[in-house]
Amino acid sequence: MSGRSVGEVTLSVEGVSLAFGGVKALTEVSFDVREHEVRAIIGPNGAGKSSMLNVLNGVYHPQKGKIRFRGNEFTDMDSHEAASLGIARTFQNIALFKGMTVLDNIMTGRNLKMHCGVLQQALWLGPARREELEHRRAAEEIIDFLEIQHVRKTPVGRLPYGLQKRVELGRALAAEPLLLLLDEPMAGMNLEEKQDMCRFVLDVNDHYGTTLVLIEHDMGVVMDISDRVVVLDYGRKIADGVPEEIKNNQKVIDAYLGVAH
Amino acid sequence: MDVAFFIEVLAGGLLAGVMYSLVALGFVLIYKASGVFNFAQGSMVFFAALTFVSLLERGWNFWLAFAATLAAMVALGIAIEKIVLRPLVNQAPITLFMATIGLTFVLEGVSQLMWGSQPHGLELGIPDVPMEWLSQKWNINISQFDLFAALVAGALVAVLALLFQKTRIGRALRAVADDHQAALAVGIPLQHIWAIVWAVAGFVALVAGIMWGVRNGVQYALTFVALKALPVLILGGFESILGAIVGGLIIGAGEKLAEVYLGPMVGGGIESWFAYVIALLFLLVRPEGLFGEKHIDRV
Amino acid sequence: MGTDIASLDTFPKLLMHHALARGARPAIREKDLGIWQTWTWKHFADEVRFLACGLASQGVKRGDHLALVGANRPRFYATMAAAQCLGAIPVPLYQDAVATEMAFPIQNASIAFAYAEDQEQVDKLLEILPQCLSLQKICFDDPRGLRHYAQRELVPYDRLLEAGREDYRRDPAFIESEIAKGSGSDTAAMFFTSGTTGVAKGVVLTYTNLVERSRVVAEWEGITDRDVVLAFMPPAWIGQNIFSYAQPLVAGYCICCPESAETVTTDMREIGPSYYFAPPRVFEALLTQVSVRMDDASALKRALYRTFMRVAQRVGERIMEGKSVGLVERLLYWIGDLVVYGPLRNVLGMSRIRIAYTGGEAIGPDLFVFYRSIGVNLKQLYGSTETSVFVCIQPNDRVKSDTVGPAIPGVELKFTPGRELLIRSPGLFKEYYKNPQATAEAKDAEGWFHTGDAGFVDPDGHLKIIDRAKDVGALTDGTLFAPKYLENKLKFFPHIREAVCFGHGRDQVCAFINIDPDSVGNWAEKRSMAYSGYTDLASRDEVYDLVRDCIERVNADLAGEPEIANSQIHRFLILHKELDADDGELTRTRKVRRRHISEKYDALVQALYSARQSVHVEAQIRYEDGRSGTYSADLKIRDAKVFAPAAGKRAA
Repeated sequence: MSGRSVGEVTLSVEGVSLAFGGVKALTEVSFDVREHEVRAIIGPNGAGKSSMLNVLNGVYHPQKGKIRFRGNEFTDMDSHEAASLGIARTFQNIALFKGMTVLDNIMTGRNLKMHCGVLQQALWLGPARREELEHRRAAEEIIDFLEIQHVRKTPVGRLPYGLQKRVELGRALAAEPLLLLLDEPMAGMNLEEKQDMCRFVLDVNDHYGTTLVLIEHDMGVVMDISDRVVVLDYGRKIADGVPEEIKNNQKVIDAYLGVAH
Repeated sequence: MDVAFFIEVLAGGLLAGVMYSLVALGFVLIYKASGVFNFAQGSMVFFAALTFVSLLERGWNFWLAFAATLAAMVALGIAIEKIVLRPLVNQAPITLFMATIGLTFVLEGVSQLMWGSQPHGLELGIPDVPMEWLSQKWNINISQFDLFAALVAGALVAVLALLFQKTRIGRALRAVADDHQAALAVGIPLQHIWAIVWAVAGFVALVAGIMWGVRNGVQYALTFVALKALPVLILGGFESILGAIVGGLIIGAGEKLAEVYLGPMVGGGIESWFAYVIALLFLLVRPEGLFGEKHIDRV
Repeated sequence: MGTDIASLDTFPKLLMHHALARGARPAIREKDLGIWQTWTWKHFADEVRFLACGLASQGVKRGDHLALVGANRPRFYATMAAAQCLGAIPVPLYQDAVATEMAFPIQNASIAFAYAEDQEQVDKLLEILPQCLSLQKICFDDPRGLRHYAQRELVPYDRLLEAGREDYRRDPAFIESEIAKGSGSDTAAMFFTSGTTGVAKGVVLTYTNLVERSRVVAEWEGITDRDVVLAFMPPAWIGQNIFSYAQPLVAGYCICCPESAETVTTDMREIGPSYYFAPPRVFEALLTQVSVRMDDASALKRALYRTFMRVAQRVGERIMEGKSVGLVERLLYWIGDLVVYGPLRNVLGMSRIRIAYTGGEAIGPDLFVFYRSIGVNLKQLYGSTETSVFVCIQPNDRVKSDTVGPAIPGVELKFTPGRELLIRSPGLFKEYYKNPQATAEAKDAEGWFHTGDAGFVDPDGHLKIIDRAKDVGALTDGTLFAPKYLENKLKFFPHIREAVCFGHGRDQVCAFINIDPDSVGNWAEKRSMAYSGYTDLASRDEVYDLVRDCIERVNADLAGEPEIANSQIHRFLILHKELDADDGELTRTRKVRRRHISEKYDALVQALYSARQSVHVEAQIRYEDGRSGTYSADLKIRDAKVFAPAAGKRAA
């Protein structure tokens, strides 16, 4: 199906452990992500998926273990730093600027790409204006890509849920990330919205060549769009492999069926 | 009823209202970006005006003094962010509010320590007298200085609106105001933005300080102009620049008209409290203020 | 320019003329990445020249058919024009059709080359490739999602254009000579009409058909190159194509393509078109949007809206038509324009509209009057694919909402004895493609097109369409009998739910009536009338009087229309039961099954046409709880007053 070529390992997680007080959220988790890959982290509720994502984008700092991204090693980076390195993310409970328009939201995603000084901006000087236009164009391309032209000037808070998710994806894309983390992108969607979202996720991967890490509760969707899947349960990795392997893995089946959380 | 006189009262009120708006603007900026009600805005006005007038009195030229004061205000803004706000990140708004009360005393103390506590007169070369052609032709007395202040306020609002709507910083500012966490996640440096907001608020305080200083003299009482801004904020909404302007105009015009036309009935002295009556009445009808944001969220 | 534009008889020639005459003026605009991008006439002409060379290199030649599938885009129209330069015939297909629906036209016209807008359309064409052996090449415009498609049939538009640019540079004379070979009698385009029954037919239209009709209407309406049109309906529909391709090429005006189907409202507001065409359902959807928004508005706004809409209804149309209106009303309308109609037109994007048409189906009078009353010059037009659209148009100052206006210059109308409308016009199609039988049925030896519509021309010369010809009959005196028309007039009254009229082959019209139980029930309650159910209610004398009043008002109305004045309703009865789809009396879409009803209730019909004042019925009825029982009673039959044709108007 795809002409993109999965490349070298770009992100590796090595023996990461994270605990809140006495509660272990992650225990000795290791896996890697290759360039241009769609990598899924799945697991039942409370398996530590969100914690893992938060570690990757610098919200949580693991007590043990290392994270290596594009050759550099990090133990404690904050989320602003992660953003500067080219890691963007979306949130499970949509963290958009609800009072701002779709266009403005996407433009905020380009914040790190804009460099004109405060004074230039305050005085609306040529360079600032040019920069604004150039980035507006990039934002418009994303709007076009995600087919949300009709709500360009609508405050995000007024949009239906499915569209908000798309806008959030757009804002993350606006940063031209090397690695995009998607936190349950299909949660709470109906079937049609899910299919749309899948299409966009694949399109992003194909069109922009973005490496994607997505966590998902629902196994079905993920299996169709991921190259490789990591399965977490109770904060430990219980399986790692291509979707076919995962589907037939007894531990995974047990984790999903056997144990009620 | 004498129409010319009515117009005169109305215009006088509106122009006075512009002065309230100037002060309210400083509150709005900070509230919008950080959700903090900055109790110290009044003392920032006082500090700015006192610094400016003291430099003038030491023989500095107008623009030099203005630039130096502006620099001081920007430095103050950055310092406040670094020393006061940063350690209090993620604290409840009431904590931050208390911190700004503390800031008030520090600022008042520091200003008087630096520049002494005696009142100063301030002159910009624009006389606070009625414009002749208006009074001769229509018999309407409107102060030249009031008009000048209105123009300055208008220009200031235009620049701020442009900054907010059309630039990255403005957008970042609105983003921070909307949702701190989300702003962080897209790589908007919160601290940076707060410093900018406080610096801009400092700039607005300086302009307000100069205008009020010319009108009432630069003295400790200047810190009380903040009290005049409160009803304006209630009326206009804490988050809207436009609200601060329109609110100011309504309060200004309302209290002048009340003083002149209702005052005699109740024995005068309305002006000092009428603004609060307007604001309270308004609060009953539209608690979010005239232009305040009604947050529309899908549940 | 030395050229007489009237001598330009094909679209490519017209295009090249505009490129010279108004090269820097806008020809097509499209919103892309949030910005309106403009093609000038010169740009348009160059694009078409290059693309035509590109098409030629792909083997497209004179007489070939080309399929086009996509929304309104500059490149869509460029491809149409490029094909026509080479003497090939564009066949626009509906972009929302499913793949299998596209197969027939492609097979029918042995189409080898197709233009597809995007991945969605490409996928559909690829899907039917095995059935469409003629299809060799698919040129796609938007490459998104198509990067990994390896089918050898696919050619990107951009590559075709580039190749064509090279070819053109080498031999610019080729394309000019190809354009010169075209003439007015050549086929310009083919449009497939779905037809309510049977298979689709390809309507073959010549350049003369389309150019002549577009020109006549442009002159008649004063359309100039300063006009602006927003193209948002499917370009495969002649109603869109003529306004966004044929007429702009004749008149030189600019068309605008919306950013996407969802943004049409916004785009419309930004563009502010001056010339507009949409089927009634679009106007209806817009009005619904307005109503929904007004429901959400504050009480003050709602009150203002209601008040001023009443003013508009009273005088709006008269003011627009320049008729005399009292000073107070005029002032009120002026205020209304300031606070309601103006902002409303602005929201609808209709602030600058000089001429708006609707057609394709009948428009409800309320809807029609709404737009006219707020100052939008909405007019009805009558025509079809076979007539190159323009047959009748309501003139600016003489709009009668129940007619479609008089025949425009060049058009002849006449009627068969069966009241079917026949049309002869320079716009009449050449033939149905590869379907001589259908052609012969539709177009007779003298060149009259049989529309299948029944109607008449009123005393003012305006055409009034009553119904489909196959559904109308005649009274014994030859008067046109249009049951659906009468029934719709009756159903306009809220008290009447359904009506069935009889009269074909008889000397007068009689009717069955079903009352509306809710509406009449309400009416009865207000009068403290006790009743036990529908059957009881339907048999009351008071209700008979109520219904007779409605019928007499319809009769008074009909008396004003000489052609059908004799089809006034003489006698009626109120049926003892509601007509029901479960009993086969209505279709599932609630249309009356006339024949079935007249057979089932033959006794009642006989009674209507006798002198009796009542008729006995006995019927099996099913109660709502599932039991069934027998109903037996005498149904009353009543006469209604009929009016003399001349006196009718005053009585109404």
